[in-house]
Order: sequence, then C-alpha cells, then structure tokens
Amino acid sequence: MVLREPDLGAAAVIVGLSLGHRTLREADHWLDEQVAMLGPDLVACTHLVAGPYPHVALSMAGAAAERLAELAVTPPELRAAAARAAGEHAARRSGRAVRYPGAERMVGTLTVGDLLAAGAIDRVVALGGTPVSPDTPVHTRDFVRPQWQAGELVLVTMPHHAGGLAPFEVPDPTPCCADH
Amino acid sequence: MGHGHAHHHEHDAATGTDVPPALDLSIPDGELPPADLNRRGFLRNAGLLGAGAATTVLAAGTPAVAGGHDHGHGHGPGGDHGRTGGFRWLAGDHHIHTQYSSDAMYRVIDQARHARAYGLDWMVVTDHGSATHAKIGVEKVNPDIVAARSRLKDLLIYQGLEWNIPAAEHATVFVHPGRNEVAVLKEFENSFDGSVRNAGDNTPANEALAIAGIKFLGEAVRKRRVEGALFLANHPARRGIDSPHEIRAWRDADPSVAIGMEGAPGHQAAGLPRASGGRARGYYDNNPSANSFPGYPLESYRTWGGYDWMTSTVGGLWDSLLAEGRAWWISANSDSHVNYLDTSQRGPGSDFNLNGRYNDPVYGPLITDAGDYWPGQYSRTHVGASSLSYRAVMDGLRAGRVWVDHGGLIKGLDVRARVAGDRRANSGTPLGGVLRVRRGTSVEVTIDVDLADIPNWSQFVPVLARVDVIAGRVTGPVADQDTFTAPDTRVVKSFEVTRKTGRVSFSYSFGRVDQPFYLRIRGTDGKRSQPGLMGPAVDPSGPALDVAGAADPWEDLWFYANPIWVLPQ
Repeated sequence: MVLREPDLGAAAVIVGLSLGHRTLREADHWLDEQVAMLGPDLVACTHLVAGPYPHVALSMAGAAAERLAELAVTPPELRAAAARAAGEHAARRSGRAVRYPGAERMVGTLTVGDLLAAGAIDRVVALGGTPVSPDTPVHTRDFVRPQWQAGELVLVTMPHHAGGLAPFEVPDPTPCCADH
Repeated sequence: MGHGHAHHHEHDAATGTDVPPALDLSIPDGELPPADLNRRGFLRNAGLLGAGAATTVLAAGTPAVAGGHDHGHGHGPGGDHGRTGGFRWLAGDHHIHTQYSSDAMYRVIDQARHARAYGLDWMVVTDHGSATHAKIGVEKVNPDIVAARSRLKDLLIYQGLEWNIPAAEHATVFVHPGRNEVAVLKEFENSFDGSVRNAGDNTPANEALAIAGIKFLGEAVRKRRVEGALFLANHPARRGIDSPHEIRAWRDADPSVAIGMEGAPGHQAAGLPRASGGRARGYYDNNPSANSFPGYPLESYRTWGGYDWMTSTVGGLWDSLLAEGRAWWISANSDSHVNYLDTSQRGPGSDFNLNGRYNDPVYGPLITDAGDYWPGQYSRTHVGASSLSYRAVMDGLRAGRVWVDHGGLIKGLDVRARVAGDRRANSGTPLGGVLRVRRGTSVEVTIDVDLADIPNWSQFVPVLARVDVIAGRVTGPVADQDTFTAPDTRVVKSFEVTRKTGRVSFSYSFGRVDQPFYLRIRGTDGKRSQPGLMGPAVDPSGPALDVAGAADPWEDLWFYANPIWVLPQ
C-alpha cells in the first residue's frame, strides 16, 4: 500500500505494511532490523488493528519509504489493515512512532525543551494533570515512542519516581503471566 | 414443604418465557409439581432466585414499598432475604496463587496459615488456568486444600482457578466445596480457558466462548453438581482488554455467577521505592495492545491510589454500570505469588511442566524485589455474612454486601439507606441492597465507621481523614454497551473525620426523593489526592495517579463500599 501525498513534502510517500505481528515488541523488532538504513527523514509507525485478527500493522513515511515496499509483501488478507495504517499516518491521526528524525538523540535524561528541539516531537503531555514546562527533565529510559494525535506527534509522559517525567510507555512492560 | 419464612418476590427476575417451571416465578409455589418445587427451594436457598438472577435492580417485579415507619428494607440483589444488621463481617481474599501456578511457589498451607494469621476468614485458591493445570494441577491441589481445611477449622478455603477469560483478562472462578468441585472446575477449564483453548484474541467467537463459560457455571449449579459458583474479573483495566460491552455481557450471561471485579488489584508492594527503580503499583505498567479496547484512555492503564481505574474514577466505568441499575460489585485481593520480604524460594529440582507444580518451597534469601503481600496483609474484602460458612460468604458476595480496604484503614463499616429519621438497629438497606420508597419520601444514608484501634501489618494504627458520599441518578440501560461514563455521578458530600478512636457516625440527607439513584461510600487517610479524572466538580479530592517506584502503599490508604440503590415509585 503506497500513498502519495504531495502536500507532505519530504514525506511524500507513505507506505502501509501488515505482516501480522501480534505484539508491539515484534513489530518494533522488525522495524529495527529493516528500516535503520532507510534515511534520516523516515517516520516509521506501528498501528493497532482489530481485523481480520488483532495485530500490529506498520506505516512508513519519507523519501526512502517506497523501498520498504520491496522488503516485504503484505499478504492479501492484511491489505486492508495496511491501507488503514497508511491512511492513519497520512492523516496524522494515529500511529506510534518507532523511528523518526532525531530518535537516536532520545537517550538518557533530557529536558522537555531538548526533546522538542530535536525536531520530530511536536508536544509533550503528562498524565494525571502533572505540569510540563520546557525545563522539566524527561527520563527517556532510551525508549521514546511518540504518537500521532490530531496532526501532531505527541509524547505522553507520566511522573517519574526521581522527579520530572518519563514516557508513558515503558520498555519492559510486565508480561501477562509473569509473577502475577 | 413450605419455606419457613415469608418470601416477598420483589426482587425476582423478570424471567424469560423459555425457563423451566422452577425458575419461572410467575408460577406460584403452590402450582408447581413437587419435583419442581423441591428444585425451586434448592435454587432459592442457593441464592439463585430473586434479583440474583436479575441483570439490573430495575428488573425486579412487584416491589414492597417502604414509607413512613412502616416499611421493609430492600434485599440485596443477591437474593438473600431480610437481614439488615447483625451480619458477621468476614474478611477474605479471592485471588491467591500456590505452587500449582507456573509463576508462584507457596504450598496451600503456607498461604492459608498466613491468611489466617493476617486475620482472614475466607480465601480462594486461584492457580492460573493452563494446559498443565487442567491436566494436573486442578486435581493435585485439591487434597492440599482438603487437608488445609481440616487443619484450619476457622478459615474457609475455596478451590477456584484464575480463568484466562477468552478474549479478555483473568478472572477468579470458584465453587462451593463438595463432591464435584474438582470435576466442575476441570471441565470448565478444559472447555473454556482462553489459554487451554488458544482463545485469547479479542474476537467475537472468543467473546462468545467466555459467555458460554459463565453459563456453564450457572448450569453446574442448577444441575446441583456444585452448590454455588462465582466469577469476578481480576485486574480489569490492567491491559485494556476487558471492554465495557464484555463486562456487561458477562453479567448478563448469568448474574448469579458473574458478580463483579477487583476494585483494587493485588501486587500492592510492586510500586515501593527500590534500588532498581521499582515497578508500577499492581504491576499496572502496560500500554494498549492490538487486543485492547481502543476507547480506553491511557489513564486506565495505571492505578489511582492503588485502585483500578474502572473503580477509582468517579463517574467512570463502574459508575456507568451502577447508573444503569446493573449490580456489579468490587473486591480487593493480594494476588499473592511471591511475597515481598519473605525468606523462601521455589523448591530445588522442580519440573513444573512434568509435575504440574513446583516442589515445596525451602528457606531462601530475603526477597526484596517481589511485588506481593501475603493474603490479608494489605488488601481485604469484607463480606457481610449470616454465619461463618461457605454458603453464607458466597451469598454475601452475591448480594454485594461487601466493602474493601487497604492497610487496615478502618475496622468496621455499616452503611444503610434509610427513610429519614429511622435509626432502628435492624432497619435500613445495607450495602448491595435496594431501598424502595414511595415517591416523595425523605431518604438519608447513615454511615457508621469503627475506626482502626489496633496497628495494621506495618505496625501503625491508620488514621481515617475523610469519608465521601458518591451518588448518581439511575438512568436505566444504556444503548451503547461500550459506555463507560456516568455523567450525573459525583461526590455529593465529604465528611472530615476528627476523632481518632471509637466510632464515628455521619448521615447525609437526599431530601424527598422522586428519581431513582444510587450511592456509594469511599474513605481515605487523606495523604495523597488530586482532582478526579472527570474534573474537580465531580471529585475534588480523588485518588492520585500512582508513580512507579514511588508508590508506598502504606502511605496511601483508601476504603470503598459497594453501592445501595434507592428507587422511589
């Protein structure tokens, strides 16, 4: 699934893919292996899709995105999921960004200002009414996954035990049946 | 052959047309053939007739109306009849793992002795459903439970399992002890467990399998294979995969079985500060997956004051059910697998897959990284029961005569909806009940709290700071089964608690009532709070978002009581 969006300039091409990954971790892993070399402007996202069975579809935007379509072929039954992923990304409505310009700088502890200055993330918000200001530290845990929301790439955070904020999504969520 | 006391069938279900005569309450007892009458008597005694069989409190038939001083009180939707005061409040925990779970390690007797020592009266053994457990554990654990029952005469120990609900989260399922307890659980697990049946995905077929499982349990009771079976959804908001329509559908599938959910998850020690940085309270650290209900906000994936978002949000999911008039109760449990600061470890040389269990635990190094407390150490579910018996506790749970607390925040709680001015000891409608009054009657709620008078299991006497009355209009069944807000529900009154000892009593008047509504009670030590997710006008000082690695559960204590409905007519 390849969408051409002249309005988006460098991100003119948006590719949707669906390989039936069951979890975000599997999808992230595939993206890590496949897209690292595809250029600094690439925005690669995951999308939660219910049909034809619950799985994670992928979308890529950027000058080199089209080459991704050659890396893997979406099976026929997942083409609608792939199209949906591409459409959501094109509209900047939803999608969780795994790769994006400046992602390699999202390590250690950064201030909200630093994080925004890296370019791709438009806004930082916090759960539970926690205040966010440009000098608030963000403990990235080297794992930062902003999401498309209403046209902006937004990083949702929550308070961190050492003060400041940390991304809402943790790198190692508790699996379903591990010690609980 | 008759029943010793008068039954007013005011809470009887509006039954369908294809029900057996014993269940069809439009047929009076006197017109039933003896066999059916006997069966009806059994079902009635098991609490399975009456509003226990009704999806909502609005579905009840001819009401007895309370008014003036000549009034009866409403019965709980659980269908036990007529009692208001004089209950034995029995503390328990329906979510406990043993060495028959692949991620746990204790013997049944280890859990049972600690439960008793920490003050519990009843507990449920809930090892994880799995292919291995269905084949081995569900049978092998039973002699251990039977032995523990005979050793600990004053502790009720139910056998259950932690069901992987098809298409959804985990749930406690348990049965009344008896000849067929293992057979029913085993057949249930083999037929309906999401792991055994590879039915975890959020698909319509798997949702239907979950419904069939709940119906199977109800049938097992009606066929008299077991005397009772109950279902409560565990850690319901943890991964966003218990959608609102599934929760409603479970209740509808069999309201005598599917009675509620954990208001607070276990693993309450998981959020403590640690050198490693710590985890999330309750291990609530997930984010949406492809199986999650897309409508849930990210706030739902975390705990608030130790409670699950469905319960902690005033005007949220739980309230949306109560505002329908849908009886759905909350509990609080340990989910004990491996306990914080214990000094034991899994038995050496274990082969879980082969034996269906770990070898008995042995002495081991101090466990500083675990997230669980022993049963009764921190979380308690208090049930108003007529006696210390397996049947009475199940009846009390089914009736919703239940309140829960953390850290021994209070010693006792007596909440009753009353016709204004009535202070008789044995009148008023208790937790889980329905007060029916004539339109225009003045109604109030009385709240009597016995303050904590002995130290809790962190060796301090908790101090109750505030009690909140939460109320909302009953607006009837929702059109959209995925509704999870109740816009009319809010905190209507907060009482500051100034006394430190003894009993504190409050009352709040709802005035002359002409609209159906419900109320519920919440209290806190007042140490952590923030405006609720629906805004300060709805909940000015609600529970605060728990922060991973900074959530000391002993410094953030809440109790929650189940609702009472008031229906003017």
